[in-house]
Amino acid sequence: MAAGPSVRARLWDGPTRIVHWALVVLIAFAWWSAEAGKMDWHRLAGYAVLALLAFRLIWGFAGSASARFSSFVRGPAATLAYARTLPSRVKAELPGHNPLGAWSVLAILAVLIAQVVSGLFAVDIDSIEAGPLSDRVSYDTGRLLAKWHHWSFSALEALVALHVAAVVFYLAYKRINLVRAMISGRQHFAQDPGLAFAPAWRAAVVALVAGALAWWVATGLKL
Amino acid sequence: MVLDWKSGAAIALAVGVSVAAGGAFALDAQGQAAATTRHNNFKAQGAAFKGLLDELKKDTPDKAVIATNAAKLKASAAALPTWFVKGSGPDDGVKTEAKPDAFTDAAGFSAAAARLKDETAKLDALAQASDIAGVKGQVRNVGGACKACHDKYRVPEKS
Repeated sequence: MAAGPSVRARLWDGPTRIVHWALVVLIAFAWWSAEAGKMDWHRLAGYAVLALLAFRLIWGFAGSASARFSSFVRGPAATLAYARTLPSRVKAELPGHNPLGAWSVLAILAVLIAQVVSGLFAVDIDSIEAGPLSDRVSYDTGRLLAKWHHWSFSALEALVALHVAAVVFYLAYKRINLVRAMISGRQHFAQDPGLAFAPAWRAAVVALVAGALAWWVATGLKL
Repeated sequence: MVLDWKSGAAIALAVGVSVAAGGAFALDAQGQAAATTRHNNFKAQGAAFKGLLDELKKDTPDKAVIATNAAKLKASAAALPTWFVKGSGPDDGVKTEAKPDAFTDAAGFSAAAARLKDETAKLDALAQASDIAGVKGQVRNVGGACKACHDKYRVPEKS
């Protein structure tokens, strides 16, 4: 039997984990508030998701090594090669997202962008509830975007189900606890991958930019 | 060519069925046309309300735009009951988002329509008097009247 992983090293930085779990809570809250017809809260949830999304996208270029898109997004060949190793229970020494998970990350981010953008312009049947930028589109366009908002939520539900299924698969079959790593930020490795982490001040600056952007959009792009 | 009685009866039957089907088809088409007109009227109503609400969001709302849209809403709300023509409901084989109750629950539907008529009349009065603060308060009541009727008499949107 091969020797088990011996080192517990840092993998995910604080901002990445906070964004992840805040998205979980806010998406659930946004769904509930829409179902309950509490549209003022739904809009606030949407603005918060927008801020988190903006943060994560910038962090994908300026954040810690494991959060950067360039560190985990791979081409079709590498993805296929990784997919072939899925049935194997041997743990791959990958610090962070594997090539298949990377596509899941991109898909979830893309659907969240579609969700937020459609929501910004959406108009409900009575016109009374509408996104903050809906005054820039006609009633018909706003209604169409409300439909897209529903469709992209269905896509999001499917991706979340796939994501959770994958996490369960890794836990049950490959014996890797991804949830704990996303909470503690640490993972077991054969040896410390020595990842680079972004300083806290940079996270603060990016958070400020993302927050300002969300605020600006929420107020209808008024300067 | 001489027709025997069987052929004659068959032709007569065929003609009768065609005429009846044609008549039914014509009625269906009429009902569908009424439903389409209704749909377009509702869309115009939604657009007018949106026009008013969008104007209210501005720093300096144009009172004329608000007054025009409020007048449109008042007129459209007053005409609303006439859009629900007999034969244009879901039970008539017409493609519509109206529930059958909109055609069968006359008392309830009239009350719901009357509520919108009253609320839009109040909205229009405020708009014509250039009372923007008053309009801002009244739009919630108009929206409430829209929603109350939709919840009861309109098929919920699929999500």
